[in-house]
Amino acid sequence: MTAPAKASRAAPPGATSGRTRARYRSSTPADGSLLLLGACFLLPLLWLVLASLDTGAGHETRVPAQASLENFAAITTPGLLLKPLWNSLVLSSGTAAVTLVAAVLAAYPLSRYRSRFNTPFMYAVLFGTCLPITAIMVPVYGLFVQLELLDSMPATILFMATTALPMAIWMTRNFMDAVPVSLEEAAWVDGASRMTALRTIVLPLMRQGLGVVFIFVFIQAWGNFFVPFVLLLSEANQPAAVSIFSFFGQHGAVAYGQLAAFSILYSLPVLALYVIVARGAGSSFALSGAVRG
Amino acid sequence: MRRPALKTMSLIASALIVLTACTPAAPEDRPKTLKVVYQKTDSFTALETMFQAAKQEFEAANPGVLVELQPIQGNDDDYGTKLALALRSPSTAPDVFYEDTFKVRSDVDAGYLLKLDSHLEGWGDWDKFDDGAKAAGRADDGGTYAVPLGTDTRAIWYHRKVLEAAGISVPWEPRSWQDILDTARKIKANDPSVVPFSMYAGKGTGEGTVMQGFYELLYGTGSTLYDEENKKWVVGSAGFKDSLAFLKTLYDEGLAVTPAQALDANVWKKVFGEWFPNGKLGATVEGSYAPSFWQDGGSYEWPGYEQEMGVAPFPTQDGRAPGAVSMSGGWTLAIGAGTKEPDLAFSFLSTAMSRENSLAFTLDSSQIAVRSDVADDSGYQAANPFVKDVSELVSVTRYRPATSDYPRISAAVQEATEAVITGARSPEQAAGDYDAAVTDIVGGDNTVRK
Amino acid sequence: MPARTGGRGLLRYLPVVPAVLLLVVFLAGPVLWAFHASFTNAGLTGRNARSPEWIGLENYLRLLVDPVFPLSLGLTVLFVLGSAVLGQNLLGLALAVLMRRARRAVSAVVGTTVVAAWVLPEIVAAFAAYAYFSRDGTLNQLLGGLGLDQPDWLYSWPMAAVVLANIWRGTAFSMLVYRAALNDMPTEVAEAAQMDGAVGWQRLAFITLPMIRGSVATNLMLITLQTLAVFTLIWVMTAGGPANASTTLPVLAYQEAFKFGDIGYGTAVASVLILLGGVFGAVYIRLLREAKR
Repeated sequence: MTAPAKASRAAPPGATSGRTRARYRSSTPADGSLLLLGACFLLPLLWLVLASLDTGAGHETRVPAQASLENFAAITTPGLLLKPLWNSLVLSSGTAAVTLVAAVLAAYPLSRYRSRFNTPFMYAVLFGTCLPITAIMVPVYGLFVQLELLDSMPATILFMATTALPMAIWMTRNFMDAVPVSLEEAAWVDGASRMTALRTIVLPLMRQGLGVVFIFVFIQAWGNFFVPFVLLLSEANQPAAVSIFSFFGQHGAVAYGQLAAFSILYSLPVLALYVIVARGAGSSFALSGAVRG
Repeated sequence: MRRPALKTMSLIASALIVLTACTPAAPEDRPKTLKVVYQKTDSFTALETMFQAAKQEFEAANPGVLVELQPIQGNDDDYGTKLALALRSPSTAPDVFYEDTFKVRSDVDAGYLLKLDSHLEGWGDWDKFDDGAKAAGRADDGGTYAVPLGTDTRAIWYHRKVLEAAGISVPWEPRSWQDILDTARKIKANDPSVVPFSMYAGKGTGEGTVMQGFYELLYGTGSTLYDEENKKWVVGSAGFKDSLAFLKTLYDEGLAVTPAQALDANVWKKVFGEWFPNGKLGATVEGSYAPSFWQDGGSYEWPGYEQEMGVAPFPTQDGRAPGAVSMSGGWTLAIGAGTKEPDLAFSFLSTAMSRENSLAFTLDSSQIAVRSDVADDSGYQAANPFVKDVSELVSVTRYRPATSDYPRISAAVQEATEAVITGARSPEQAAGDYDAAVTDIVGGDNTVRK
Repeated sequence: MPARTGGRGLLRYLPVVPAVLLLVVFLAGPVLWAFHASFTNAGLTGRNARSPEWIGLENYLRLLVDPVFPLSLGLTVLFVLGSAVLGQNLLGLALAVLMRRARRAVSAVVGTTVVAAWVLPEIVAAFAAYAYFSRDGTLNQLLGGLGLDQPDWLYSWPMAAVVLANIWRGTAFSMLVYRAALNDMPTEVAEAAQMDGAVGWQRLAFITLPMIRGSVATNLMLITLQTLAVFTLIWVMTAGGPANASTTLPVLAYQEAFKFGDIGYGTAVASVLILLGGVFGAVYIRLLREAKR
């Protein structure tokens, strides 16, 4: 069974795992080792939280002598925080929107018609997901120079959408396969065109899946550093990922507390979105099945 | 996903596609815009101040023209990369920009810079620039492509109290490399907690590694990086190996900062902001602009630095003539070759570099003046007690080879120093690697064994 | 696949066009451009920026003699093997197995922690890891507390630091894949084994693993590809240093192309990376097709 194919199984795994777990005894050694491993994963995060509350923070993890929100106050300025976050929002929602529209359109024929063309196409798309994006950044920079698209927000959105597209097409087609074709047939009888049927019947039925794809692409775009780092040059266009990096380069050696506070404010939106997907769509695996670097 | 939402998204998507298609062609009726790109960091705001002033002045004098200031935040290295990335594409290339002297020639070769000769003829102030500085903006074809903002020299900056505590009399005037090592060892023996004598090394500090460090060594051995007469790069020189070996001694004996600290791109901030003011560093090689960090309004204000710090010329290897070595660099303003408004761009450049603006910038950033009317100003001469000392070094100073291959050669030198101080390669091996890299960059025909 | 035959020929595939267009322009285009540019001496500045020349295989020959390239290739292999194939994969499996045996609350808390490191924007994760491994960071605090040596990790053991950081960052993916795979396993099998008296590790080695081998293969491929492309984490933590001791291929390609301005050579390095990705991708797709048959 393939990971992307699993994306379609948005059914909560809790249903099965609950049953499974009941048959095993809860074991204390397992609890212990798990907690130990969890602690290892927690430690680096702990620094982030504690340092953000500590005006005199350094590299070490310590409970601040006096917890304060000064670091947060210091960085909450339009130029430093708000504009970059707004740019991130534009970049990420633009990317997610373009990806979703293109993926839905592409998935429809792939899901609804049977043709020799489908399988090779899907494998070609899947092959696209294997490309290391960091490797093509040098050529993409060259391409953007040729097309005079450097420092253009829309062009960067289109590029980021493209890198997310292969996985989005896979996921969307799988979600679409789960919508019975018989529902559409009724609409055709009433004379609706295929695109109307897609819009009025199919999409509403798979809205949960579409939400997953949208948020998934959004989270990836929000966290992406390298692509905007190379393609967006002017300060006015830079998303938070890049501005936080220049902040680090400039103040990082001194203002660790502010860096941590900045990091937290910048991370919160995606953490929240992840919780929504994990809870709402019932399966964190819908996301994992489709993630890649 | 509800239908309105999907509709909105398709709208966004199509709008984006339309926007992209339109981006390159700007509508004609918009006000004329000049894009100005320069470097700004939390410890270097002199340029920001200068351009803000020039923008106001210029926009008032030229209604309908908008000056768009686009500072790039980052150290010299990052600024260089970002500027190069932007210059390569006509759509992002700025009209006026801040350009390091050592990049002028390679950027002229790349066709990025506008030839300024015809504009300079009509600019009265141009006669006030001194000839040595003018040369920094000249290319192989004899044309001038950049206007110098200021220059600098490099010297040893030392902390009087740290030296005195170790029983060294000040003013300190080392005559040879051995003098430096002897002094440094004394300081270390006296107080192991201070760093006696540090020199930059490694890729982290970029051009700083070679300008404030390696070249002072190399040019004091009688060797050189580039044979100006025959236009060939020097490989296999004993001086190159000796210079690396000197760095190795400094780092191996713990006379310099730790290699890990040296590789941190921000180490210079600690030098200016922490170690010198706290008396934790004996001496280092730094630029004539050092006081700009410590003076009133500088990024690391240090009242009384004039009394605590001293400056000495960097000696040659064994005291050979002329007895001292210094390096000069400096930055310029240039105009993009693709600018649609060359006259306006030059007019803005000359506004930015008017006497008043130049004077303010020179004082703000502790530059060595390149215009006679600034150098003669009493405010300039009294700016700090070191102006005279560092200006005198102009007589022994050296410039980097002004060729378009230079930036890559410099990277190879930095790589060699990093390999040596980390112990990855011996000085001989690293020098061998450097020779191979140079041959690779310029071709065997353009090297000479000395 | 709920599909219908019929429709009007190729026209019904019209909706696929936007997606294909994006993929061709922004994905296939740069890849082809990369192969082309790697045969030229294109530069960021100097003569070669204005008029790049065709220099044939020269860049590739230079790869063979450049001492940094074999080092970089070796480090990339080490990074992938250490952090993905061994680290993320085994730790992910261990976590998934433990979670089935542990109390529900414990496994939920630990699961959330592990996933949090993965959902964070990559640049934030990189800062946290940087602080954690720095000289006076949390790791050395711990080691100091135990009375052990406290090396400067980022300087003396840069590869160990980035490998561990990438394990921390990426294990969630493997954990989620294996949790889903284990949940899909029929419980009867495990019960039967238990009655036969098989103990924990025997069940894992002889029953569980063979049953989820499809997931194992898929997971290995995906995390390998993800890890191959890691740039930001290394860039922030060590910038490839000291003395190139942690310069993996993506870092090398970036340095050569943008820092040293040698676009031609940089794209040659990138092309090698793309080919590596292509090989892994082809193997992955083969595996998928076989699994489907």
